[in-house]
Amino acid sequence: MMSPVPANDKKSKLLVYSIEECPVCGQKSKRPFVVGDYVTKEGAKCTKCSNATKVALIYAESTKPSG
Amino acid sequence: MLPSLSGIALQTTSSILSSINYNDLLTIMWVASFFVFFFYGTRLQTYNALREIGSGLNRLKVMKDKARKEAIDYLVNVGKAPNDPAQRVDQFLDYVTIMPVDMDPAGIVGKLDHIVNTNNDRVRTEVGALLGQSNQVTVSISENLLEVATALNQIHKIVRHFYLLGKKTNSYFTLIQLQMLMPMIIQEADALLNAVDSFKLGQPVGDGIGPVIVSRYMAGKDKRVIAKDTVLAMTEYKGRKLYVVKADGPMAYVGQPGVAIRKVVEEMGAKPTAIVMIDAALKLEGEKTGEIAEGVGAAIGGLGIEKFQIEEVATNHKVPLYAILVKQSLVEAITVMRKEIAEASDKVAQIVNRIIEEKTKEGDEVIVAGIGNTLGVAQ
Ligand SMILES: [Zn+2]
Repeated sequence: MMSPVPANDKKSKLLVYSIEECPVCGQKSKRPFVVGDYVTKEGAKCTKCSNATKVALIYAESTKPSG
Repeated sequence: MLPSLSGIALQTTSSILSSINYNDLLTIMWVASFFVFFFYGTRLQTYNALREIGSGLNRLKVMKDKARKEAIDYLVNVGKAPNDPAQRVDQFLDYVTIMPVDMDPAGIVGKLDHIVNTNNDRVRTEVGALLGQSNQVTVSISENLLEVATALNQIHKIVRHFYLLGKKTNSYFTLIQLQMLMPMIIQEADALLNAVDSFKLGQPVGDGIGPVIVSRYMAGKDKRVIAKDTVLAMTEYKGRKLYVVKADGPMAYVGQPGVAIRKVVEEMGAKPTAIVMIDAALKLEGEKTGEIAEGVGAAIGGLGIEKFQIEEVATNHKVPLYAILVKQSLVEAITVMRKEIAEASDKVAQIVNRIIEEKTKEGDEVIVAGIGNTLGVAQ
């Protein structure tokens, strides 16, 4: 009866990104998350139409294929 | 005399040895082991269980110490606590909340609500007093970190209690039950410890998917506080008036959506024809993260206070409750939001719109509530 305690999965690292979306033209850009980011925070100027973008999503992606 | 005696002894030994063959020896050993396991089997298993629980208990201790240290470090480094908070934190970890008596259950939700509110208020004032600054996000994160440390402290204490009790009374059944539960307990503790990393960086967690979606309906609209830590915005969608409710972000709040919905209906005089709730839900093993489920009923977890309040308002005013759930595991719900969950947001928004279009008419009023921890999700 070996206990199947799951070991900490250190192999797959999570990288966190902030997605900035332009409310005018809908262009999205992805950059690494920085402390202080939050959804709806104003981001950089849109590269297409130079309107102010907003952080639309913040999420983590696994470096390993998900499974 | 002597040489001949020893000669006889040698002779007998060798004759006995030669008369026992390998098969007999095996049979003797088999019979002996049968008796050993028959009489000492449970003792051996008890020993094994003690050893395994002991190592799990050590892991839990490391985890709870780490959570405590992380909380103290956050209070000192980010919260700029003027004095060493370690002693206060230790008192905090052992603080107890006494649940109301349930022998006469009528009105118990109100009592529970009162106790929970008292506790939440004292947590906030105590954390506020510890910190050297009053940034709301920092205060809310500190509250959450201390809650995680408290939970891990409790888990460790309870496991230790049953481990020592089982050891003291040599109770096979106590230990075996604990041994069987250990993997799940460690998994839960691991999830809690992982949450610390997301919380201290202020990253949205999987549970925040509801707030992420409704924040889109609130964009550019006037927001006002409608209940403790809860905001309301009014907007319009295809001729329907929407009352959008979420906890006040980007603080790590869950707010009081139950109170908010009641106030919208009973104090603001809204006559909603539907309440749409969006929440994260625990997936079953085998279900995919980010899967969306639709249903009816109040989509909200926790102790059940908010759920009760929302069901009561909905029932009294005969308002249908629609639920949209985004599936995730416990660890995904309390750690940084995974891509699969975030990417469900567009689909969920479409479903919200579809429900509004199908279930209501132009000129109707609809409440849309995003339920969950709103850390890193403003409006
Ligand atoms: Zn643009």
